[in-house]
Amino acid sequence: MKLRYVKTEVVLGTLVALALASSATGQSMAKIWTSDVVADRQRLMKLNGASWADAQAKLKAGNVEAVAVNAETMTLIATQIVALFPQDSLTDKSKAKPEIWQKWPEFESAVKNYAMQAEKLRDAARSKDQAATEAVAKEFGRQACGTCHTPFRVPPPQQQPPSPPQQLQPR
Amino acid sequence: MELRCVRTGVILGSLVALAVVGCATGQTTTITGSGDPVADRQRLMKNNGANWAEIQAKVKAGNAEAVAVNAEALSLHAQRIPSLFPAGSLTEKSKAKPDIWQKWPEFQAAAKNLENRAGTLRDQAVAKDAAAVTATVATFGREACGTCHTPFRVPPPQQQPAPPRS
Amino acid sequence: MGSQARCLVLALLLLSPALLSKSAAAQTPSAAEIARGKYIFGATGGCGCHTVPKEPVNAGGRKYDGPFGTVYSSNITPDRETGIGSWTDEQIITAIRLGRRSNGERLVPVHPYTVFNGMGAEDLKPLVAFLRTLPAVKRANQPKKITVPMFESVFLPAWLAAFAPRETPPTAVPTSGPARGEYLVRAVGHCGECHTPRTMTMATDNSRFLAGNPKGPEDSEVPNITPDKATGLAWSEEEIADYLGTGNKPDGDVAGGLMGEMIEGTLAGYKDLTKADRLAIARYLKTIPAVKNKIGK
Repeated sequence: MKLRYVKTEVVLGTLVALALASSATGQSMAKIWTSDVVADRQRLMKLNGASWADAQAKLKAGNVEAVAVNAETMTLIATQIVALFPQDSLTDKSKAKPEIWQKWPEFESAVKNYAMQAEKLRDAARSKDQAATEAVAKEFGRQACGTCHTPFRVPPPQQQPPSPPQQLQPR
Repeated sequence: MELRCVRTGVILGSLVALAVVGCATGQTTTITGSGDPVADRQRLMKNNGANWAEIQAKVKAGNAEAVAVNAEALSLHAQRIPSLFPAGSLTEKSKAKPDIWQKWPEFQAAAKNLENRAGTLRDQAVAKDAAAVTATVATFGREACGTCHTPFRVPPPQQQPAPPRS
Repeated sequence: MGSQARCLVLALLLLSPALLSKSAAAQTPSAAEIARGKYIFGATGGCGCHTVPKEPVNAGGRKYDGPFGTVYSSNITPDRETGIGSWTDEQIITAIRLGRRSNGERLVPVHPYTVFNGMGAEDLKPLVAFLRTLPAVKRANQPKKITVPMFESVFLPAWLAAFAPRETPPTAVPTSGPARGEYLVRAVGHCGECHTPRTMTMATDNSRFLAGNPKGPEDSEVPNITPDKATGLAWSEEEIADYLGTGNKPDGDVAGGLMGEMIEGTLAGYKDLTKADRLAIARYLKTIPAVKNKIGK
């Protein structure tokens, strides 16, 4: 292959491949969220909180197996988190800390950890073992949520009153 | 340019492009979870079902206002649905119908319908309007889930009894 | 005019209101009858085979492929040229139950007339009355494409006589008890048309009633709904009744596909059955023989 030809072809090929790649993933990368990524992640986090509050209420009532739904919801939601913290999304409204982007691998780790902890909670609940579920739940707040919230989130200035699992606001 | 050179170029170029695209998506996208859209969407759908079963149970137990968390889960999950059905994901394991991609705008509308109805249910629960919640729940299965399941999903060949719930 | 003729004309003029009102009375169904007709319509699943989804109700045109070729469902709206508007009640009922059109043509039993033969006259007449109240839609029936030689003249009559199980009509439509559930399942709801496996001749195999069909309509895998613990339906009566009324399944799933269509119906569907009737269906399903037949993997 002559070098000159390779270069042209590489360019052509790249263009072709990129075009194909973008059209192939076009549908899968269709807009999922609103254009306000901060609002979207706050909504998601509120659901995490509500799910966790609901799970605790269930456990308190002795309703072990039902915790699995909440835990699985949290695991599924967790897969969304990383994509909701793109570069330059640190706005006025956001409670994210710049550390997220300064220590990105740590942030990703914390998110993966959250997903893993939620799966642990789910599996314990599915086994219907109350003691095992309570053991995971005891640490969950700190282990699953705290390991991220502590380094990466600005705490709310005013504590919300304890509410029924009704932390979700009408939109 | 000779054809052979073009072909080589396309191959080389594709590798370059894939590398570029791969890096670009690698950092920000763990959207699909496992990377297998069929497994991911089946998992999401199961959670939808579990949340819906819980909504019905709560209403039955006279606890209509407590469904907000479940309704919100449904609404957020619904937002992801179209992205979990990329072109070419109709594998053997999938229960999706080819109609999804043949009628893509309709499919998107059905997912949006679930998102909106679940959002309404959530708002009714947050507003503590038990009567509204009960009324919505009475037809939610057909109107929020059935409107998609009827045209776009291959029904399961055997009926499952009541859950383990997740 | 001669005096005799004048008398005749006068007599006719005097009698005509009576004559007209008598025939009008015979033809105008009451609101109650039409309501009953709508209920039966829903109990069949809304005659959904005659409606293409999202198109006008009962205008026909839905495609069915079979070993015989291809047929399209007929227009059963009251349109006089393209529908059944010019047919008498008896002609419509004959088509429903016996599979013969007003022009003598035999229906291909995609329309399950051997099963609808199990419907009672007290239900069929109101059903026809209801059908006549729907909007007339002008849509010509699409002709069938039969690929089997001598199908209508030889094969179909022989098949009907030899293989197709035929339901028998009740002397009176059962209104409660086990007979009610049996009536709704075997005849009106025509559940067996999808849920009963077929023999090699494509007739329903009623020795395995409702035991599921791995190759059902539109290539569906249709579940076994006999009470077999391992391969059939393990739901409670309440859960079955609830499912028919809402599409909700006990595991949080929701009905889709053709069954979703039946429950939703068109102007009415299974979802509009009373709780008592849905429970009757559920109870009946618990009494049929449990047949081991695993559908799907």
